[in-house]
Amino acid sequence: MSRRIRIAWLVLVTMAPGIVLRASPGWAQGPIKIGASLSLTGTYAAPAQNQQRGYQLCAKQVNEAGGVVGRKLEFVLYDDQSQPATAVRLYERLVTQDKVDLLLGPYSSPVTEAVASINEKYKMPMVAPLAAATSIFKKGRRYIFMIQSPAEVYLEGVVEIAARKGLKTVALINEDTLFPKATVQGTLELAKKKGLQVVFVEAYPKGHTDFSGILTKVKAANPDVLGASTYFDDAVAITRQMKELNVNPKMYAVTVGGDLPKFYELLGKNAEFVYGASQWEPELPYPGAAEFAEAYRKEFPGADLSYHSAGGYGGCQILVEAIRRAGSLDGEKIRAEILALETNTIYGAFKVDADGFQLAHKMVLFQWQDGKKAIVWPDELALGPVRFPTPPWNAR
Amino acid sequence: MSVVITPEMVAQVVVSGLLAGALYAMVALGLALIYGVMRVINVAHGTLLTVGAYTTFWWFNLLGLNPYLSLLFSMPLAFGLGVGLQRLMVRRVVRAPELSSLLLTFGISIALVNVLQLFFSSNLRSVEFLTGAFVVGRVAFSKSRVVACAFAVAITALAYWFLQRTRFGKAIRATSQNPEVAMVCGVNVERVHLYTFGLASALAAAGGSLVAVMIAIQPEMGQVYTFKSFLVIVLGGAGNYPGALLGGMFLGLVEQLSSLFLTTQLNEAVAYVLLVLVLLLRPTGLLGGRAT
Repeated sequence: MSRRIRIAWLVLVTMAPGIVLRASPGWAQGPIKIGASLSLTGTYAAPAQNQQRGYQLCAKQVNEAGGVVGRKLEFVLYDDQSQPATAVRLYERLVTQDKVDLLLGPYSSPVTEAVASINEKYKMPMVAPLAAATSIFKKGRRYIFMIQSPAEVYLEGVVEIAARKGLKTVALINEDTLFPKATVQGTLELAKKKGLQVVFVEAYPKGHTDFSGILTKVKAANPDVLGASTYFDDAVAITRQMKELNVNPKMYAVTVGGDLPKFYELLGKNAEFVYGASQWEPELPYPGAAEFAEAYRKEFPGADLSYHSAGGYGGCQILVEAIRRAGSLDGEKIRAEILALETNTIYGAFKVDADGFQLAHKMVLFQWQDGKKAIVWPDELALGPVRFPTPPWNAR
Repeated sequence: MSVVITPEMVAQVVVSGLLAGALYAMVALGLALIYGVMRVINVAHGTLLTVGAYTTFWWFNLLGLNPYLSLLFSMPLAFGLGVGLQRLMVRRVVRAPELSSLLLTFGISIALVNVLQLFFSSNLRSVEFLTGAFVVGRVAFSKSRVVACAFAVAITALAYWFLQRTRFGKAIRATSQNPEVAMVCGVNVERVHLYTFGLASALAAAGGSLVAVMIAIQPEMGQVYTFKSFLVIVLGGAGNYPGALLGGMFLGLVEQLSSLFLTTQLNEAVAYVLLVLVLLLRPTGLLGGRAT
């Protein structure tokens, strides 16, 4: 008996500092703990770090405005090193050891696909702001919600403009992983609908660094349009090797990766005329977007600001709004609120179907023009005309 | 939806394959040296390549130094690092069971990658230098790859000459053939080990400096090259130095040709199937035997 009392004392003493800290004035209860793992190192590091900044800024601003349901937000963030298997372990740990109240999604479709079974198992709703592969949301899962436009429509703008300009043929190459594959599938169908002929499609394995083989074949197929569906480092490598091998389509779009400011920093003038898809740009007239961009630049001077940043922030906004409406941290209640939600965040429109699949958000197409991303599609959001056709490399 | 393959396309990928192959050969020669002399399987080899790439990046980025001149810094740096690693750690597993060296160098590799991550972050870096290509007829020779190939050939030739002609090179080969006899003949085997590891690391770093101009630099970039180097020395015959050169060229060609005739998706599969076949059918490598 005395032993038990001793243990009880020990527990009390070790926890006392926590209890005292938590009783700081203004906050009735402890913070709401939100867990996530992000690819802070490895292949996906650049965009995932932006997403992290989005999460951090959201928490900071929500807390400054008095928190949600009277409580502060606090993030528990881990680094999954761009490895889906690591992310699975980390989410398991967030739920079982860190006992977080709620979860937010990791970066990228493959990682989200992997961890979606964890939050499903524990019936914890998870807004997944940076997952764009449709299949994740169409497997009968009940607790995962999409923020972005799906992978399938990433290159819709390219197909639209190509058709409008009277182009005939398309070639598509992609990294052989979930998201880039989905983009190619979607683009194939969009191209068919618009009467464009797809003359070449090929995937390459993740980790590939020499694209001479695949680009030699693209060159032989001589397409009017080349769409590359990939991630950042490949986007840079492919663009470079296109110049080396003198591959000259009239339009060349690369997604994801072409949208990061770093893409232009690394490639300089060679990035001119390249098209890219974006979920979000700071110039877009969404409510709060301009203020967000300003606050972000102030909070993280010199850091990349991309749609990943805004997605992280927007996803966090949706979760906060759902908590507010539910008035509690109950998983089922929050799930019901997210499903019923129809709103605009700084990231654009939000509305999901019964599967949590995004219906309202709109994708935009930009072109690198004089070092800036000029939005060229859709027409109602376009800020200028396209520079068409893309001149051959030796004529630039 | 495939394309008709023309002779020009074959020429193009053969050129690309040989350009890449020379680089593989140079990097793999380092690995072959270490294995030949010490029977150490050095999994950290690719990481030393990463060290070379970062050296080039920082000299280029901070001081605007020509990336090819930075070889003068990256190679001695890696040489020193290699000598240090050998002296402090690898020395203890020389000619020990292979698992020991595998575990040790694996640990070194993880530690080095994380140190790089800590200091330089995992942001992708790149050296924008010499982009574009020389076009001859209908075949494009990527400028950065042609120059890298030229340097790789020169450095490999120099290393080869050193092994064949100099006294110390002969000592290295003698140690690799039979350490006991070499020792009896007055070769300082400890010193041979030290400099061999240094030399091998310098070769890896040279590879790093050269690829820095072609691909994105990040702390984990070297791993691919570790695997490729293993492939090369198995193809060429472990411990067989001319074999490593042949193996490098062969791997470059196989990768590119399989990407052209089959699909790019399969090119790694083809390389590794080849590895298994060579191990099954010609375990001593394509050239056969240990012709050190």
